[in-house]
Amino acid sequence: MSTPAPARPILDITGLTVRYGPRRRSRRALHDVTLRVAPGEAVGVIGETGSGKSTLARTVLGLVEASAGTILVDGEDVTRHGRRQWRALRRRGTVQYVFQDPLRSLDPDLTVADSLTEPLLVRGVPRADAVERARALLTRVRLDGALLDRLPGEISGGQRQRVAVARALITEPRLLLLDEPVSALDSANRVQVLEILKELRDAGTALLFISHDLGSVAGVADRIAVLHRGEQVETGTAAEIIGAPRHPYTRLLLGSAPTLRGPAPSSRAERDALRALLPV
Amino acid sequence: MTALSPTTTAPAAGQAPARPVLSLRDVRITDRATGREIVHGVSLDVTPGRTVGIVGESGSGKTLTCRAALGLLPAHVEISHGTVEIDGTDIATLTPRRWTALRGTVLSAVFQDPASYLNPSIRVGEQIAEVLRVKKGLGRRAARDRARALLDAVRLRDPDLVRVQYPHELSGGMLQRVLIAAAVAADPRVLIADEATTALDVTVQAEILDLLDELRERTGLGLVLVSHDLALVAQRCDEVLVMRQGEVVEQGPTRTVLHRPRHAYTRLLIDEHEQYGLERFRTPQEDA
Amino acid sequence: MVRVVLSLTTGRIAAGILGLIALLALLGPWLAPQNPLTTSDDTLAAVSGAHWLGTDHLGRDVLSRLLDGSRVSVLGSLEVALTAMAVGVLPGILSVQLGRVFEWITLRLADTLVALPFLLFAVAVIALLGNGITQAMLVTGVLVSPLFYRVARAATLAVARSPYVEAAVVAGASTGWIVRRHVWAKVLPPIAVALAQTIGVGFVIVSSLTFLGIGVQPPAPTWGGLLASDLGYLDQRPWAPLAPALLITLTVWASNLLADAIRDASGEAGRALAGRRRARARRTAEADPVPSGGTR
Repeated sequence: MSTPAPARPILDITGLTVRYGPRRRSRRALHDVTLRVAPGEAVGVIGETGSGKSTLARTVLGLVEASAGTILVDGEDVTRHGRRQWRALRRRGTVQYVFQDPLRSLDPDLTVADSLTEPLLVRGVPRADAVERARALLTRVRLDGALLDRLPGEISGGQRQRVAVARALITEPRLLLLDEPVSALDSANRVQVLEILKELRDAGTALLFISHDLGSVAGVADRIAVLHRGEQVETGTAAEIIGAPRHPYTRLLLGSAPTLRGPAPSSRAERDALRALLPV
Repeated sequence: MTALSPTTTAPAAGQAPARPVLSLRDVRITDRATGREIVHGVSLDVTPGRTVGIVGESGSGKTLTCRAALGLLPAHVEISHGTVEIDGTDIATLTPRRWTALRGTVLSAVFQDPASYLNPSIRVGEQIAEVLRVKKGLGRRAARDRARALLDAVRLRDPDLVRVQYPHELSGGMLQRVLIAAAVAADPRVLIADEATTALDVTVQAEILDLLDELRERTGLGLVLVSHDLALVAQRCDEVLVMRQGEVVEQGPTRTVLHRPRHAYTRLLIDEHEQYGLERFRTPQEDA
Repeated sequence: MVRVVLSLTTGRIAAGILGLIALLALLGPWLAPQNPLTTSDDTLAAVSGAHWLGTDHLGRDVLSRLLDGSRVSVLGSLEVALTAMAVGVLPGILSVQLGRVFEWITLRLADTLVALPFLLFAVAVIALLGNGITQAMLVTGVLVSPLFYRVARAATLAVARSPYVEAAVVAGASTGWIVRRHVWAKVLPPIAVALAQTIGVGFVIVSSLTFLGIGVQPPAPTWGGLLASDLGYLDQRPWAPLAPALLITLTVWASNLLADAIRDASGEAGRALAGRRRARARRTAEADPVPSGGTR
């Protein structure tokens, strides 16, 4: 349903390679990843432990340095950015990040209002204005404004994750990176967060949705990239990846994901055969 | 593929209705400290070679129910009503000694966080051998050989290496395999897996569940699969219980629960998968 | 946080005792009923109306000497604790934030200081610089500072690796902002605990030095000095060392109690305590028909 949009991509990654550790014995976290996200597009990145999916997000955010390749954020080459340039870029709020762990991504000593307004206060927005914006955003993520005075420890896990989403939205980002945003949530909260994300996408915010679970991305993503041990093994529209996967790893992922009904995705024997095809 | 257990040859999934090994009848669990009832009546039967699933979120009472069956309820929490029978014996009549004898040999369990159930400073092979020496009275040599066979049976790639490794040297999936090996070491007839694959990657989760299925088919093990994921339970179980806030809101054969859910909560769980899960691409839209 | 500490029984007891001792130190010389230095013929007098705690071997009033001596002990221990904090905390926080070289240098320096036996070192410094409690305590403070360095560093390390600090970085926050907003609140409670402990340790050090006659010239009274001279005529007045010994013990105990109370009031448990207070406040505010304009 989504042919690549003609507009300039909000995120344009070409040949990205990331290595960790001392030069001689460095480990490769990512190898030659190429990915484009158009404005208003939702792209899922699927990978399991050690796939490099979190490294991908952290590199885009400038928390990890790229070893090779280029990253363009809204046309600006950030690959060689220094500390100052990163800070300037971040304060513009074009790209925001929602962390995996809703419990630990909010400072336990700060009220919801303090956490929410931080991205604005850092830019010098007056506190009263920032709090007004925060209140409006809470409504948008279906939370009560009375929560502003609470500490993270005083609200539920689902509420915390929605606060984390609201914090990321407060700068009106054009690209939102989400690292396992629904993995720690129960059904009801998961549906709510996914609905919010869908609304965002429909309103024109680009999403880069990172997860270990194809199932949790399927509902929102237009396109999906599959990472396996730092290699980008397959990329395509959601329908292509889920309907007709080509790489054995993608097929194994799909065959392993539990589904409710319909034909069994694959049998134990098929999974064993696929596992045998993958490098140990 | 060494045969897991030479002693218990399974009656397989035969047609004859086998006697349940584990049987809960209207079990209610109460916190004596607050006087509140936490679980409001659970009944289920686990027969050899069959899989029963319990679905529920944290706080639904699914874990307490399992712990009640294992006789591992926390202090000041007790079964206030109903009976639990293991192999025909009411657990209310069991002495602590008898309990210890039963756990592992008739009933066994694996949990979510495998690392916390292993001693970090003892090689994993020795920990399994210890179970065998205590539960089966094997000698040192025999226990060690049997432990190696078990590690092989849970399909660890290199059992001879894993045997001499410490828990921190193994990945989450490998640790869970080790724990399963320890859990089935004394040939139990029912294994309770409480969120045993929740912390694992999807492909590793499938591997572990495949392993449990294989054990079940080969040895006639009865399985209780506890998870927050309806799809996981639906795919692997013959019977499903859906729990919410201590209440069993839905119970029946998997097919019936999935196709004719009666409770709104079950429908919510199914809807979530259909709207946001892989089902969106799999099943025709007319399915309501 | 101060409120939470004082809501604990232990916190109240400790603060009460320490406050009293501080008051003694402040007003001691004026409270003393007699000149602590005047001798009299009435030596080793028993407890009486004139001498509430009796007199010593030179006929000086013991109560007056205790009150007068409290200033040296209190000031000395405060000096140790505050010096240690001043020297240790900032390098501790910066060792996490400023990069590898600074980290390596400060870590080695802290190791070196820990290795030096501070009592002997204080004696040596006094031998070099002349007898004076101030120099001795300054040196001791520097030698105790690795405690603060390590506490501050550990707390900062824990915060620096947390997702909420990364979230602040991604939001474009500067290092200064992160330290002020996120690090500070996490580092302060353990430092307060260390401070209370060090004050207790400081008392022991001051008392030990003065017991040995180091730091203060003989006629001037100190708790440690009193204890030492009282031990000289134990056969005639076996209960004499009791008063200074009890005072020292009580003060050190109260410092440790305060440290425990601060520990209880901070971190997860403290947040729960504070949270309950806040919830109660919210309920009463909601029950209040007249909205009292919010603080934020």
